[in-house]
Amino acid sequence: KTLRLGSCVISTNLQKIQSTFSEIRDSVQAEDRNIDTRILSKSLSLQDTEPSDQCCLLRRVLRLYLERVFKNYQTSDPHTLRKISSLANSFLTILKDLRLCHDRKTCHCGEEAAEKYGQILSHFEELAPQAAVVKTLGELDIFLQWLEETS
Amino acid sequence: DGVAVLPAPQNLSVHSTNMKHILTWSPVVVPGQTIYYSVQYQGEYESLYLSHMWIPSHWDSPIAKPECDVTDDITATVWYNFRVSATLGSQTSAWSILEHPFNRNSTVLTPPKTEVTKDGSHMVIELEDLGPHLEFNVVYWRSEPDAEERSKLIKNGGISVHLQTMEPGAKYCAKAQTLVKAIERRSAFSRVECVEVEGEALPL
Repeated sequence: KTLRLGSCVISTNLQKIQSTFSEIRDSVQAEDRNIDTRILSKSLSLQDTEPSDQCCLLRRVLRLYLERVFKNYQTSDPHTLRKISSLANSFLTILKDLRLCHDRKTCHCGEEAAEKYGQILSHFEELAPQAAVVKTLGELDIFLQWLEETS
Repeated sequence: DGVAVLPAPQNLSVHSTNMKHILTWSPVVVPGQTIYYSVQYQGEYESLYLSHMWIPSHWDSPIAKPECDVTDDITATVWYNFRVSATLGSQTSAWSILEHPFNRNSTVLTPPKTEVTKDGSHMVIELEDLGPHLEFNVVYWRSEPDAEERSKLIKNGGISVHLQTMEPGAKYCAKAQTLVKAIERRSAFSRVECVEVEGEALPL
């Protein structure tokens, strides 16, 4: 799949990532007790963001997953561990590709990206740490849908 | 807890061909005994963010042979580390770690085995099935001066694919190469194979 983020264009195997997450989605989402709140709300979505700011917003959300979600999600189940590793290493690959756009000055961080990411972060930090990790991981299908709609 | 008296397995290395990755090591030998091995891995993400974490390989039941198919562990084009330990009863060796991390973009890509046949006046090709990661680019042409080459992307091997309808008295040729989108690489072409349709060439 080719993701078009303003003038930053990258390719990724979105289908593979979606199928990997689908293997653990139900068990992860079952752990989420905060069903009335949402971290990745529709108004903050990537596809409803100015194209020029999409790359920057994506980079920040990817980093949120890498640095605070995958890193802190606790499981002793080897199968889940392997799926989380697969997702994390795939996200790392995407982040590396976006870094190339950043180097080529096609990953501008404007006001909209900062504003939307700020809201995502405040939603994340309103919850207890582990609850935020579980909810954000459970919302990965929302995030992947965002990516799907920019492709 | 078993005391580490067993020697750790040595000479770990990954042999990768057509996106199938096999981790091998030198066996630990104790006469008259069967040694079992455990394999764990770490992707680049883990080594950057969770360096203490090692993940049991898909092939995680104790292994009796000094090799392990780690293809399903390697799911991204990043660096992967592997480690192996040996077990004999309650004795467990230290971990031995792969000397150089492995990245799947270094896999050896071989041209696919092909079979070009004719079904009546139809040119058909069948390609070797090399697994889910690999696609094929088939180039085919009518064997004549200034022939125009055409190409076709074939998603899976192991099935017959129609290339074109042929005219009597003419010779048609094809060759194929392996493609891997995940690592953006392709193999060399296979050798050229041709078929010919008997009969008189049609008047121009």
